[in-house]
Amino acid sequence: MRKYIILLVLLILGIIGYNYIYQEHRNISTESPEHILTADSLFNQFSENPSDSEKNYLNKTIEVSGVISEMGESNLVLNKKIFCQFKNLSNRNLPTNKIVKIKGRFLGYDELLEEVKLDQCVFVNH
Amino acid sequence: MKHLICIALLCLSTTMFAQSKYLTKTGTVGFEASVPSFEEVKATNSAVTAVINTDNGEFAALVLVKGFRFKNALMEEHFNENYAESDTYPKASFKGKIKDFELSKLTNQSQNFKISGALTFHGKTNQFNDLDVKISKDNEIINISGNFKTLASNFDIKIPKIVRNKIAEDVLVTFNFKLIKK
Repeated sequence: MRKYIILLVLLILGIIGYNYIYQEHRNISTESPEHILTADSLFNQFSENPSDSEKNYLNKTIEVSGVISEMGESNLVLNKKIFCQFKNLSNRNLPTNKIVKIKGRFLGYDELLEEVKLDQCVFVNH
Repeated sequence: MKHLICIALLCLSTTMFAQSKYLTKTGTVGFEASVPSFEEVKATNSAVTAVINTDNGEFAALVLVKGFRFKNALMEEHFNENYAESDTYPKASFKGKIKDFELSKLTNQSQNFKISGALTFHGKTNQFNDLDVKISKDNEIINISGNFKTLASNFDIKIPKIVRNKIAEDVLVTFNFKLIKK
């Protein structure tokens, strides 16, 4: 009997260990956003104080609404200032000037092009 | 008359500073520090910004460190928290110059060039000299790619003893940029 209990405990520990080591990636599309804001208000915070704003948003899931200014193969740009990379961009032929809401993970502020970058983006109610 | 001179000067200055730039926002930078027969230690970042000034061959790239994606989520977490410390150092950058760069010489066959510059990562800057890069030009797209090896310790990244046999000290960095005229 004791043998079986020890075996069972080992098995459970093994499963927990395996699940810990091979845990799943964050799924941004199911996370609820910590901040909801417009593309302009997000960008304005970076033109004022890039380093503090970056710390504030880094790695967080945020929801941004804005106007599409550029479409790429797997990305789009909102208000010429917010670069959003998608995992799979299903609709590549969205018209520019269309207003959209996007949820994604904040990656950082790109000072070479003065753009905010998000990845793992999805459309919200699209 | 004064106005005329001003306008003339303005025109002159804009033409003088009109540099031709090519850029990408979706360049790829990857690194690998795998040890054979252990789980691969490898990540790719496909949201790298890179700009080249085609007048003089000056090249700059900016990597947002949080954008490195690993196959294993726990490895990604450890990379961000313990190795790259991406909360403190969210950016890596490269600033350099391609030797003897001439836009008109580029063809759709890739040619070898040398690039030298400073790479900053994890708050440390290292100078690299004469790294090999392959450059080609297809229509209006300049393709720059290559790889180089560096040491984790050069960037002040300590690999704990317990995992030292699973992570190589030699890190192979690969890059690929498709730059479009701006």
